[in-house]
Amino acid sequence: MSQSPDDAAILRQFGLEPDPVIEAYKKDVDRTLLRQNLMRTPDERWKLLTAQLRLAEELRRAGAKARGE
Amino acid sequence: MASDFAGIVGALVDSGVEVIVIGGLAAQAHGAARLTQDADFLYRRTPENIDRLAAALRAHAPYLRGAPPGLPFRFDAATIQRGLNFTLTTALGDVDLLGEIVGGGNYEDVIEHSSKLSVFGRDVSVIDLPALIRAKRAAGRPKDLEAIAELEALLAERERSRER
Repeated sequence: MSQSPDDAAILRQFGLEPDPVIEAYKKDVDRTLLRQNLMRTPDERWKLLTAQLRLAEELRRAGAKARGE
Repeated sequence: MASDFAGIVGALVDSGVEVIVIGGLAAQAHGAARLTQDADFLYRRTPENIDRLAAALRAHAPYLRGAPPGLPFRFDAATIQRGLNFTLTTALGDVDLLGEIVGGGNYEDVIEHSSKLSVFGRDVSVIDLPALIRAKRAAGRPKDLEAIAELEALLAERERSRER
């Protein structure tokens, strides 16, 4: 189990009992991204999301064009 | 079309609609890294707020998402009164409007577990991270397992960063 005891203790502080199925998924979470996001304001996070979605849309459009669609 | 989140939030908040941001957009506001394309809101089901909600989206061509075109659908106060949860397309992007959520309840229940966050120049009610986790756990959808894992890791990281 990759979860540190600290994670479980924090969950319990909020009335959440650690779930073994969710814990299995947790080992694949990239916490470096979360730590970066925590340094941003909510406004910066939503603006970043908007920019990422625009980029994804642009890439989809470019892919469709390259395939002749 | 990429969703215009600023436009959606602006349309609702500037019209005085009482809503709480839930779902993936709330997760993003708290710092989640997973992308989301639709905007989920829990709306207050008072007659006055339903009137405001209908008026706020009227100019943005709301229509039932996934429904065949041409249905005689009108997103007006009567429609909202008769229904509860609506998954819509709009000119601003996809919008889900929910009258209640599993594991959370209705607007009056969830507002107690929400905070005002400043986004896009507006103060917007966003469900708190532990309440969001509880709601996603209660929904019990297998597709949410990765998202819940990320949210729980986020909660732990946030609390640890506050202690430093």
